[in-house]
This record gives sequence, C-alpha cells and structure tokens, in this order.
Amino acid sequence: MGVYIIKRILAIIPIFLLATLLTFGLIHMSPVDPAEAYLTAAHIQPTDEILAQKRQEFGLDQPLYIQYLNSVIKISQADFGTSYVSNKPVWDEVSSRMSATIQLALGSILTAIAVSVPVGFLAGLKKGGGIDHLSRFLSFFGASIPSFWFGYLLIIFFSVKLDLFPVEGIGTWKHLVLPSVTLALPLIALYTRLLRASVIENLDKPYVLFARTRGLQEKLILGKHVLRMAISPMVTGLGMNLGKLMTGTIIVEAVFSWPGFGRYFIEAIFNRDVPVIQCYVLLAAALFIISNLVVDLIQMYIDPRISSKGITER
Amino acid sequence: MAVQRKRNRKTFIGLFAAVLMLSAFLAGCTNNTAETTASDPESKSMLTFAWPRDIGEMNPHIYNPSQLFAQSMVYEPLVGYEDGGELKGYLAESWEISENGKEYLFNLRQNVKFSDGSDFNAEIVKRNFDTVLQNAQLHSWLGFISKVEQTEAVDEYKFKLTLKEPYYPTIQELAVVRPTRILGAAGFPEGDDTSKGVAKPVGTGPWVLEEHKVDEYAVFARNEHYWGELPEVERIKVKVIPDAETRVLAFEKGDLDLIYGEGVINIDTFKQLESTGSYETKISEPVATRLLVMNSKKEQLSDERVRQALHYGFNKQAMVEGVTSGLEAVADQILSTNFPYTSDIDAAAVEYNVDKAKELLDEAGWKLPEGKAVREKDGKPLEIELMYNSTETIQKMMAETLQSEYAVIGVKLNIVGVELTTQVERFKANEFDLNFFSNYGAPYDPHTFINIVATEGFGFREAISAYPNKDELLEMIAKVPQTTDEGERQELYSSILESLQEQGAIVPVSYIKKIAIYQKDVADFKFPANRDAHPFTGISLNK
Repeated sequence: MGVYIIKRILAIIPIFLLATLLTFGLIHMSPVDPAEAYLTAAHIQPTDEILAQKRQEFGLDQPLYIQYLNSVIKISQADFGTSYVSNKPVWDEVSSRMSATIQLALGSILTAIAVSVPVGFLAGLKKGGGIDHLSRFLSFFGASIPSFWFGYLLIIFFSVKLDLFPVEGIGTWKHLVLPSVTLALPLIALYTRLLRASVIENLDKPYVLFARTRGLQEKLILGKHVLRMAISPMVTGLGMNLGKLMTGTIIVEAVFSWPGFGRYFIEAIFNRDVPVIQCYVLLAAALFIISNLVVDLIQMYIDPRISSKGITER
Repeated sequence: MAVQRKRNRKTFIGLFAAVLMLSAFLAGCTNNTAETTASDPESKSMLTFAWPRDIGEMNPHIYNPSQLFAQSMVYEPLVGYEDGGELKGYLAESWEISENGKEYLFNLRQNVKFSDGSDFNAEIVKRNFDTVLQNAQLHSWLGFISKVEQTEAVDEYKFKLTLKEPYYPTIQELAVVRPTRILGAAGFPEGDDTSKGVAKPVGTGPWVLEEHKVDEYAVFARNEHYWGELPEVERIKVKVIPDAETRVLAFEKGDLDLIYGEGVINIDTFKQLESTGSYETKISEPVATRLLVMNSKKEQLSDERVRQALHYGFNKQAMVEGVTSGLEAVADQILSTNFPYTSDIDAAAVEYNVDKAKELLDEAGWKLPEGKAVREKDGKPLEIELMYNSTETIQKMMAETLQSEYAVIGVKLNIVGVELTTQVERFKANEFDLNFFSNYGAPYDPHTFINIVATEGFGFREAISAYPNKDELLEMIAKVPQTTDEGERQELYSSILESLQEQGAIVPVSYIKKIAIYQKDVADFKFPANRDAHPFTGISLNK
C-alpha cells in the first residue's frame, strides 16, 4: 500500500512537467504580448520604449526555451515567480485567495452530499415514487441550467425579494449559502442520478436476497449494506469532480463577488499575467491528481475487494 | 466483523466532522474583520458604491493594478483639470512660465498638510518628482517627463521645473492621475524608489484609506487635515463587484448608493432602472470620441472617394441612438468641443446620403455588376474587414449595423471580433482595414491624440498614408507642443484636426459619456472634468 502511494505520488512529476509545457506553449501561441496587455490594462499608451522595458522586466526578451527552463527551475524550487500586474510573488497572491475558494468548494460539496445522498437513495428504493420524480427534476434542472443564470435567479429571489441572504461578498455563513447552492446544483444532478442507479442495481444483487433470507432487518440491509455498496460510484464521481469544482468556482466567484482565486485567475487571463496563469494550471493539475489518488484510497477503504485487485493490477 | 464495522462508521463520522470543522475554520479565517463598525452599511454618513476591481496598491507613482479613481481620492496634483479644459491650481496656487517656455515656477499652496499631519512644501514636491524621474522610461508616454532637465526647490513654497525644450502641454499633463501626484514623506520606502511600493498611502487629498480588504472592499474616511472644503459624507465604501448584473442587483436591493463609470452596467438595464423613477440618473459631458479609423494604406481605402462613401453610407444618427439608447451622442468632430483648443474647430459634417455614397463609389471605379450584390473593380470585389473589441457590446452592435448598411451600397463588410489587446496590437502593426478607436480624453487631449497620430508604429501614422499632405501634417504636429504663442497653437490645432477629419481616414462616430445611477438620498453627484479622477468632494447623503 505504502509503495503504491509513493509510486502514485512520483507519477505526479512527469504530469507536472507536461502541464507546465502545455501551459507555456498555449500561452505563447496566443498572439497577445503580455507586456502590451499590461500597458493596455494600465491605460498607458504603449510606446516602443515602454514595451521594451516591460519585456525585459518580465524576461520576455529571452529565447522561448530559456524562458521555459527558467520557469520550470523556479517552480521546482516552489517559486512561482512574480505577478506581472501586481509585482508581488504569485504564491502570496494565490494563497491569500485560496481559503475563500476552498471554503466555497467545501460548502458546495457538503450541500451536494446533503441533498443527493437522501434524495438519490430514496429515489432508488422507490422507483417511480414522488422522490424519484423529484430526483429526476433535480437532475434535468441541474444538468441543463447554466450556473451563472441560476446564481442570478437565487440572488433575485432569496436576496433582493426575500432579503434572506446577502447579494454578494464574503463574511458570514449567510454569504456562503447562495454561492454554495449554485455551485452544488450540477453536482446534485449528477450524484442523485449516480446513487439512484447504483441503489437500484444493488437491490437486485444476491447479497440483498441472502440478507433478507437470513432475516436481517430491512432497515439494516438498506442502510448498512445497500447504501455502503451503492455509494461507491458517487465517491468516484466526487473525486473526479473535485478538480472541476475548483475550476467551476470561477464563474460563481464572479457572480457572487467571492474573493477567491478563480476570480483572480480570470483577471490574470485578460492581463496575460503568465506566472499567475501557470501557477493556477499547476494547482488545478495537482488537485486533479491528488483528488484521484485520495478517491482511490477511499474506495479501497469502502470496498476492500478493490484494494487487493487494484494494487496488483496496477 | 462487527467491531470492524463499528470502527468504519466511527472513522466515517470522524471524517465528516473534520470536513465540517475545516470549512467552519476557513469561514472563520475570512470573516474576522469583514463587518467592522467602520463599514456599517447603515451608517448615515457613509456612501457605498461598487467598482469592478480591487482598488489596488495606493501608490501615486505606478499604474496597474491601482485604480485611478482611488488614487485621485487620496493624492492630489499640482494642477487640476476642470470643465472646458480650464487648468486650476491645486497644490500649486499659481505658476509662471518663462518666455522661452522652458522654466515652470510653481507657487505652492501654503498651510497644506498631508493626512498624517506632516507639512506639504517644495522639498516634498521635489522628492516626488525625482522619484518619478528615476523611472522616466516607464513614464515616457507622458510627454513632459522625458523633457525634464532639472527639478528644484527654490524656497519652502516655490518649486521649479526646467525642461530641455519648450513643451506647452506640461501644465495640462500635471493634472493626470498618475504618476506625478504628491506622496507624503511617510509614504516613501527606504531608498525612495516608489516603483517598488509605498510605505503608507499618505496624501493631501480629501480622503484617507481607512480599511482595505483585497478583492472585497475598501473604506475611505474623510481627511480631517484636508485644505479644501471637507466633504459632507464622512466615509466612502467601495465594494468590489466584478459582475455588472450583480452590481445592479446589489443596487436594487439598496446595498449600494451609487453606480457610476463607463460601461459599468448594461445600457438596457440603465434605461430600465431609469424608467422605474425610483432612482436618480446622470449622464456626463463627452469624455472621449468613438472613432472609426480607415486604413488608407490598404488599396481599396487609399482612394478618398471610397473613404467618403463609407462615411456617407451609414446613418450615424440612427446607429448611435439605436445602439446606445441615447447614452452616447452623435459626434461630428474628432474631438468634442469641451477640450482645450477644440471649440473653434469646424470640420465639415457628413450627412447620411446613400445616393451620394453610391455615386462616389461609381466615380472611384467600383461598379456594381449586374446580378451581383458586391461592387467590383478590375474583377476584384469591394470587400473590407472591420475589427472590433469582442467584449464591447457597443462596438459589436455598431459593427453589425455597419455591415448591413454597407451591404446596401454594395460593399461587403466582414466583421471580426478580437480581444482588446489583439485589437491594439493589430492596429499598431497596421493589420486592419477598419477599426474602432477612442481617444484618451481629458486631461490628455488634444495634444496626446495628435501625438499618437504622428507616432510611428501606433497605427494612425500608417492609416493616413494616402493623405497627400501627410508630411505637412506631421510637421505641424511636431511643432504644436513647442509653441509658446496661443494664437499660433490654436491655428495649428484647427488645421491639423480639420485636415485629418476631412480626408476621411478618421471618422467621428459618437461621443462616449459616463453614466451614474444613484439612490434618491444621494445629492450633488457631479462628474469631474478629468476622465480618470473622481475625488468625491461635493457629494452628500440625505439619509
């Protein structure tokens, strides 16, 4: 098990290298010059003199491969460079905004679990029942509605009309409710469906019949055995969505003026703040990799059959 | 087995509780100072408004990400720009310019104190200028910076600026929000290089930064040491709301007292809010002109008749009114008449006339072959590309309007939406046929605009390539800043601007204006003449 985890962690290195190369390549394929973008954003008339100075300051006057190597060497020393725009270390800029984003992501995961587990489970138990209809509605609604629009609807109804929650900003638990629900909706749609299908599938499994013939209480069978087995695909889904969730905060952060790093990233893109973009992409890659690893470990824990099979196969 | 299960359940519950606690902890991390008494939105004397970006570092000598309005609340210039281009003494009460136009002697205002109580004098002015001049290259877009030869504190309240050559816009350029506003001594970092940051935001302006939470809000309190009339409102809170729709919703809920600026909210939303009658609205004087630039270096556009036909060929009045719902006004001149030296300029206005447009195109040899919709000359169709900023709705809608209008006169207009930076780059590289551009506005114009026209590699100089009097125009433009005689200067401006416009490569479309919408209890809201500044001096609240 320990060896397996170390192997998985070591596999991060080539993936990181690939991610840096891709980000670097993509940024430099864009026709926009970061020095020019800086001046445009600063309302400065971009004279050749100022452009040359900025390019030199940003290290853009060096050949591309040197720029790339420099950035990789720096990153390997956990130095993400200095933001072109603010002139401050990128890591300081990003980490100071991280807690807000994590808070939002956790809020939405908890909301998603709190809604989709009971709804999905009950919908699976009583196919065609009222809750099943509700789950179907949630799934279609959640999967099809754009999250920014849903965010506005929530603000109009719960904030402007009913005055239950603040329109925007951060601070109290009340500030967290609407953005979390907005971000959670597509997750609810997905997990409810996953859990429902999985419950239905498990109810037909021989172990349920066996448990019933053994005379176990129905409550125990469903709560202990079926739910535990059925929740496995949902855990996988959750892990796979963790990275997506982080990136999904970008829109929600913009709509609710949530001061996280998703919003900061959007500004960085418009300003071609290359070091910030690179740092964000690397963090997102790290999150994808680590969350997948954690999910695998949780899966092994829930279902020991996976652990023996998974490790030997890998 | 049973023991194992029990343990599993415990671990699960433990994990869940840990997640909950972590999230509560993180929530705690970010809310500890969010609601302080200083930022109580119910406060009677606090005005709250929204801005799309964080105010940034409060440094008067740098650019991004500092927001101009915030810099103008805390820091003041020697000279200010007022309505109609009048230059008024701020930290300098008056000034004298030597006959050769090279020496500027500023008589500084006495009894001015910085917000920390320290004295304002010639020494600190010199220190500010010297710091800025250390990075002269970065500020070289501002004409007078590269011409400064010497700075001198003549006595306690006299500051002298000596230039290498006469440069008349110096006084006007001192009114810009950055980089020459004055920072107090306590604000200077070790070594005095403010381009690396300031120690403290200490200025002489009407406001002091009291509280700042990056990306959330900033609270400015009245500067009790302010030399001018103290603002009635005690505090101003700036909430950072990047999304325009959210800004409007927060305003409708009453969380905001004011929204103002350029393009800060959707035009339709503005009109709709205005029509409810529940709020006050205001539209500013023109702050800049939206221009359509035709690249006369391109073969089809090198013929003046084609350029004129494209000007005659669209209904400017209907387009501007339709697209901007009347928030912008039809522009007949390249620079609106509220800028210095522009009130007498009278380039011939072009009225919408489809027949005239067709006639001009015929004359230029672009004929409409039978059964075809696009004119041709020597077998080549009259196909032109218009580049616009894809994130700017007004440009996009205007581009679409022009496309359909030009189709009527037999011109095929291809419209291409690009990012702002790409638009600027392509303009500079001369890779365009038609492009939208707007001038910098007050206090930069008219001299900055004509300077841009003459600057190599900026776009305009190449765009006017087909002008027969191009060399003469460039000579006149080079002469303007060196003039010491007002009459001569006015004459030069008139000839330059009229000639630029009449030959059709620069078509004025509309005058851009700022908008403001505010709650009924906000009184005396005024748009400053300086496009970038907003010191909020006169504003009051009747809560």
